[in-house]
Amino acid sequence: MKKIDKSKLEDLWGRLAAEQDLFLPVQQDSVVNFALWQEGSRVNLEAVNSLLPPKDLLFPQSEKIFSYKRREGELSFEEAPGSGPQVIFGIRPCDVRSIELLDPVFFKEPADTFYKNRREQTTLVSIGCLEPDTTCFCTAFGIQPLDAEGADVMLYDMGTAYLVSPRTEKGEKLAEEMGELLEEAAGAEEEGLQQQQEAAASAQEHGLDLDGVFEKLNDMFDHCIWEKFYRRCLACGTCTYLCPTCHCFDIQDDGSPEEGQRFRCWDSCMYEDYTHMGHGHNPRPGRRERVRNRFMHKLNYFPKDHDGVYHCVGCGRCVQKCPVNLDIMQVIEEIGKEGVGGEGHDR
Amino acid sequence: MNLTEKMRQEAAQILESKEADLVIGWGGGEYYWQSPPLFLEDAAGAAELAFSPFIVNNLAKYLLEELESHEKAALFVKGCDTRGINRLLQDHRIQREAVLLIGVPCAGLADREKLKAAGYDAGLLQVERQGDSFILTLEGEEGAREVPAGEFLLDKCLECRYPNPLVYDRLLGEEVQKPRERDPMARVREVQKKPVDEKYAYWQEKLSRCIRCYACRNVCPACNCRECIFDQNAPRWVGKANQLSEKQNYNIIRSFHIAGRCIDCGECQRACPMDIPLMEINRKIIQDLTELYGEYEAGIDPTDVPPLGTYRAEDPAGFSER
Repeated sequence: MKKIDKSKLEDLWGRLAAEQDLFLPVQQDSVVNFALWQEGSRVNLEAVNSLLPPKDLLFPQSEKIFSYKRREGELSFEEAPGSGPQVIFGIRPCDVRSIELLDPVFFKEPADTFYKNRREQTTLVSIGCLEPDTTCFCTAFGIQPLDAEGADVMLYDMGTAYLVSPRTEKGEKLAEEMGELLEEAAGAEEEGLQQQQEAAASAQEHGLDLDGVFEKLNDMFDHCIWEKFYRRCLACGTCTYLCPTCHCFDIQDDGSPEEGQRFRCWDSCMYEDYTHMGHGHNPRPGRRERVRNRFMHKLNYFPKDHDGVYHCVGCGRCVQKCPVNLDIMQVIEEIGKEGVGGEGHDR
Repeated sequence: MNLTEKMRQEAAQILESKEADLVIGWGGGEYYWQSPPLFLEDAAGAAELAFSPFIVNNLAKYLLEELESHEKAALFVKGCDTRGINRLLQDHRIQREAVLLIGVPCAGLADREKLKAAGYDAGLLQVERQGDSFILTLEGEEGAREVPAGEFLLDKCLECRYPNPLVYDRLLGEEVQKPRERDPMARVREVQKKPVDEKYAYWQEKLSRCIRCYACRNVCPACNCRECIFDQNAPRWVGKANQLSEKQNYNIIRSFHIAGRCIDCGECQRACPMDIPLMEINRKIIQDLTELYGEYEAGIDPTDVPPLGTYRAEDPAGFSER
């Protein structure tokens, strides 16, 4: 296996950035987020999770669809410019999985061309987590903190160097670009990796039990359990916007009859206007219905359409940042405690 | 009896005697730093109440919706929270008779980020206040450690002037003496000293982080409009696009809208997931109002008149002079 010494990372980033857009976790004040790398960027590869997930790089919070102009009665349109190749460097295994969960949503025919173009030109360089955060629970979803199945290149932290494992064609191509910056790893380092992997394999999975949660929810739409959770909710969009798998968007116009653009932007099912219909009716009039929808989508509606796979990767961002501690792990535990068809159904 | 027990006893008694048909307090969570708001209609649920140095949520704003379906709500309030109660009273959004206030003197709450930075997050099971210390219960052999509370208080608690409830029906525990340890206006003066270009760049950088989740607005007791302009669709006053101009527009309009009504509780900044120093904007406005209309603190006395809620002939004429 090859390795790259950590002292050569700046050189590596300079080289990669010359060929494509390179995004890395960058520290700004107290906050670490993926940002376009420039010389002098304060890269932070130690922070386990970036504050915002990198989904913005495939599915931007706001993106132009087309612009229009009217001149002397002539209406003309201009499509949004296409995207170029990019590398997301330092993405964690949970976030890699989140992209694998977004793929079927956006690739489903008719495919979302904006997402598809970006995704096809994106190379994911993932770094495994040696010390997950206290709020991490990715293992409950079968994710291995050390290894991201969907990564193009996997990096293993060996202290002063990273072992480099290309996984895909895109990954091989990137390893080529790395050229002489890569060295042959020593036997001791490969042994070290083996030890890390063995330790990870024998480490306990997160105790959160998801068994039967999806099936139980089939029957819990009107269950009183939602009463317990929705009342504290502030109906802000923090959980949805910090979530690596939430992917709802709105389409809006901006401009005058003479000139303007149509764009799409993230939307949140926590917002009142999310399901507000043109004729005034709102099928999810209150926080009860909206909170229920968010958890039902993660734990029931999405799995129903995707072979039972949950729409959560256990990154813990919503757990950390919800201002009122509405904790999805607690929700899952409470659902797990409920018996199918038992008390509490039909509130 | 410790405060948790007192809270539980008080809540159970209120619900059993039907003094109120709802109690709003704080519960516990899986993590030591969680303290979710808790809603009780049944005395049996009182055992879920938990006092900890993380009872940061101001419960006042829940009254707006809960009082639509309850006759009288009892809620636990810290000093800062009571300014939120006064805010809602003064804005005629709640009636005093519809609330039963159980005051909780507060010597300051703990900041998880500061504990984390000092290496205390993993393996920390519980944090308790004891005099001037926090007692940390740790996993493993060490068991417990005592650390000076002052080093781990939330910044907003270091700047607190009202550790004791300003309005209450009952008080749990003794009033606390807590000197203000930091001048809340110090940051405002610091930012103000920057040259204009630098100041603009500073705010551009901070506000560009805004994701428009509206947590600041939703947690704010002064943001109590029945319908917020930022939720209106036709016309849409602020665009939904992720653009700096829209973010600035939202944040600046919100701070102007609560000018003279902001109770300085710091909840907006605490709730902000992006760590934007929103209180620097709100306090700058408090400072300006003081210069223009004289000293005024919102949410202290519900019978007074906020500076922008009245007109006096001698008010400064504004734009033309400045």
